[in-house]
Amino acid sequence: MRVGGDGWSRVGLAGAVWVALSAGGAVGAPVVAQPAAREIVDRVDQLLRGRSSRGTMEMEIVTEHWSRTMRMRLWSLGTRYALVRIESPRRDAGVATLKVGDNIWNYLPRVGRTMRVPPSLMGAAWMGSHFTNDDLVKESRIVEDYDIEMTYDGLRDGVRVWEFAMTPKPEAAVVWARVTERVRQADLMPLWARYFDDDGTLIRTLTFGDFRTMGGRLVPTRMVVQPADKPQEHTTITYTVLEFNVDLKPEFFSLERLRRAERTREEGP
Amino acid sequence: MNPWWTIGWRNLLRNRRRTAITAGALACGYFAVVIMDVLSLGMIADMIDNGTGLLLGQVQVHADDYLPDRSMYATLGGDDGVDVADLLARVESDPAVDAAAPRVYGGGLVSAGEHTGAAVLLGVDPAREVLVTRLLRGLARGRPPADTAREIVLGADLARRLAVGPGMEVVVVAPAADGSLGNDLFRVSGVFDTGIPDLDAGYAVLAVGPLQELLALAPNRIHEIAARERDPWGAPATARRVAERLAGVGPPLAVDPWTTYRPELVDYARLTTASQWIVLAVVFGMAIFGVANTMVMATFERRREFAVLLALGAAPRGIVGSVMAEAVALGALSLVLGLVVTVPVMIWFHLAPPDLGAFVGGFSMAGAFLRPVLRLEYPNAVLVGSAVALFVTAVLAAGLPALRSSRLPPAETLGGR
Repeated sequence: MRVGGDGWSRVGLAGAVWVALSAGGAVGAPVVAQPAAREIVDRVDQLLRGRSSRGTMEMEIVTEHWSRTMRMRLWSLGTRYALVRIESPRRDAGVATLKVGDNIWNYLPRVGRTMRVPPSLMGAAWMGSHFTNDDLVKESRIVEDYDIEMTYDGLRDGVRVWEFAMTPKPEAAVVWARVTERVRQADLMPLWARYFDDDGTLIRTLTFGDFRTMGGRLVPTRMVVQPADKPQEHTTITYTVLEFNVDLKPEFFSLERLRRAERTREEGP
Repeated sequence: MNPWWTIGWRNLLRNRRRTAITAGALACGYFAVVIMDVLSLGMIADMIDNGTGLLLGQVQVHADDYLPDRSMYATLGGDDGVDVADLLARVESDPAVDAAAPRVYGGGLVSAGEHTGAAVLLGVDPAREVLVTRLLRGLARGRPPADTAREIVLGADLARRLAVGPGMEVVVVAPAADGSLGNDLFRVSGVFDTGIPDLDAGYAVLAVGPLQELLALAPNRIHEIAARERDPWGAPATARRVAERLAGVGPPLAVDPWTTYRPELVDYARLTTASQWIVLAVVFGMAIFGVANTMVMATFERRREFAVLLALGAAPRGIVGSVMAEAVALGALSLVLGLVVTVPVMIWFHLAPPDLGAFVGGFSMAGAFLRPVLRLEYPNAVLVGSAVALFVTAVLAAGLPALRSSRLPPAETLGGR
C-alpha cells in the first residue's frame, strides 16, 4: 500500500523541513567514482538531511486564482522534528506548524489556539501550497522505500549527470508509483525529481536550482514544485538563510514553543 | 334496459352468499393494490421531501461552472459577484417559488480542545433558509446561528466527536479564497440530527456573512441560491422559467431542478411506480381464477335454463350477453364495495399516518431519511387502473363459461345427458 510521501517530497514540503532534512550529509562536492545507483541516491538523500538546521525562507505560491509570498522561519532536528513559523503576510503572521514524528499541529494566533491536523487531512495542502501535510511528516529514507535503478549516465545539456528510476518496494507505505530524478555528477546536486501515479501519469515535478553555499555547505537554495495538471501553478521555495548543525534539542519542538510568538535566544537570530 | 342486463343483475342475487364472497375477494384485491400504491407514493413523497426539503431545495441556481467540482472560486457572477438581493427577488418572482435563500460553501476543520473534524461549512441566511429547507427548523438542541454573529450549528455526530454542545466554543479553519488560512472562533448555537450520516457527521452551518469573512469572499459572492417549490414534480418547469428570468444577469448561470441533482430519487420513484403495475397484475391475475371458478359454477347450475332459452330460439349471443352482464354487474358491485372499504382508510391514513416508531426506527436511503411513518399520498393512475383491472378480471373470468353456456346442445342438456 502506498500512502505517504517520499524522500523528495518530504524534503520539499515544509521547506523548513527540507532544510532540516538537509543538514548533516556530505559537504561540498564529493566525486563519486561509478558507485552503485543505490549508494548515489542515498548520498543525495543524506545530503538533504541533517542533524539540525535553522533558517529563513520565502514561499511563493502561484495558483489560478491568487498568488502570494510568505516569509517564514524554520527549525529542524533530524527528520523527526520541525517547526515553521510564518512572519508575513500580516494575515498569516504568527501561524506556525509543528511536526513531531507523524503528528502535525498548527498554531492559529488569531484565535490563540493549537489544532492537531487529523490523519484524514494528511493529504491536504499545507498553507495553500502545492505541498501536502503528508510531505511534512514522512521520515524514512528513499533507499528504504524504493528499488533504485540507474537509467542514464552521461551528458545532458553539457552537464554530466545520472538519472535514476525508483519504484516502491512492495511493503513501502509511499504515495508514488514511480519517481525519476536527475543528479549532477560533479557535486551530487539534484536537478529535478518527477513523481508518477499508478497509471504512469506525471503528477508533479520538483526542480532544484540556485546552488549556493549556505551554512558552510552547498545546497540548492531554490525549489519549484509544479503540478503537472496545472501548468500555470507552482510553489517556489527560496532559502534566504540556512545554518546547519545548530544547537537544538528535542524539547525545543514543543506545543508551548509552537504557541510562543516572541522570539527566544534559542530560536536564533 | 336490455333484458339480458336485467337477467344478469338478478342472477347475482340468486346465490347471495357466493356473490358476496366473490365480490368481497375482488374488493379486497382492489383495496390491497390501491393501498399499496398510495403507501409507496407516500414513501416516494417522503423521500423526495427529505431528499430535497431538508437541505437542497427543489431548485438551485449556480454559476454554470460550479458543478461538479464545487470550486470555491466559482461564485455566482464570477469574481465580480452579483447583486444577491436582486437575484433572490428574481427567483422569488416565479409564482411557483415559495422562497429562495443564498448559500456559501467552504471546506475546513472544526476543532475543540484535542478533537478536530473535517466539515463542509455551509453559510446561510438563517431567516431565509428556514423558509426553504428544514435543516435549521426543529434542531435537536439549541437554535440557528444569529444573522451576523460568529455562531455555528453542528451535525450531531460532529458535535459528539468534538465533545461540544450549545454555548461552547470551536475553532473553524478553512483555506480562504485569497490563499490565506482563514481561522476564527465560533460559538456553537445548535445541533441538528437528521439521521443522514453524511450530514450529521460532516456539515456545519454558519451565517453567510461570517463564513464569507472567514473565506475572504466579498459579501456579493455566493455559491448557490436554493429555492422552495410547492409541487416537487413541477420543479423542472419552474427551473426553466427561473432560468428565463435570470437570463442576462452577468455571466451564465445554471438553474437546475432537484430531478437533475438527485436523479437517484427520480429513478427510485419510477421503479416504485412501475413495480405497482406488476403488483396489480399479480393480484388480479390471482383473482381471475377465483372469479372464473364462481362463474363456472353459476353457469353450470343454470345450464338447463340456458338450454330452454336456446330451445325457444334465443341467440347464443344473448346467452353470452347474459353471462357477461352478470360479470360486469359483479365487477360494479365489487368496485363499489372496494371503494367503500378503501376510500375511508385512505383518507384516514392520509390525515393521520400510522407511526411505526414504536416498532422500528428511521433509516436513510439514497441520501434521504425515511421515517417509520406510513405516509399515504392520494392515488394516481393506479386508482383508475385498479378499477379497470377489476372489471377486466370479472369479464375475462366470465368469458369462457359464457361461451360454453352459449354452445350447450339444448336437447341433450334438457334430457339430462
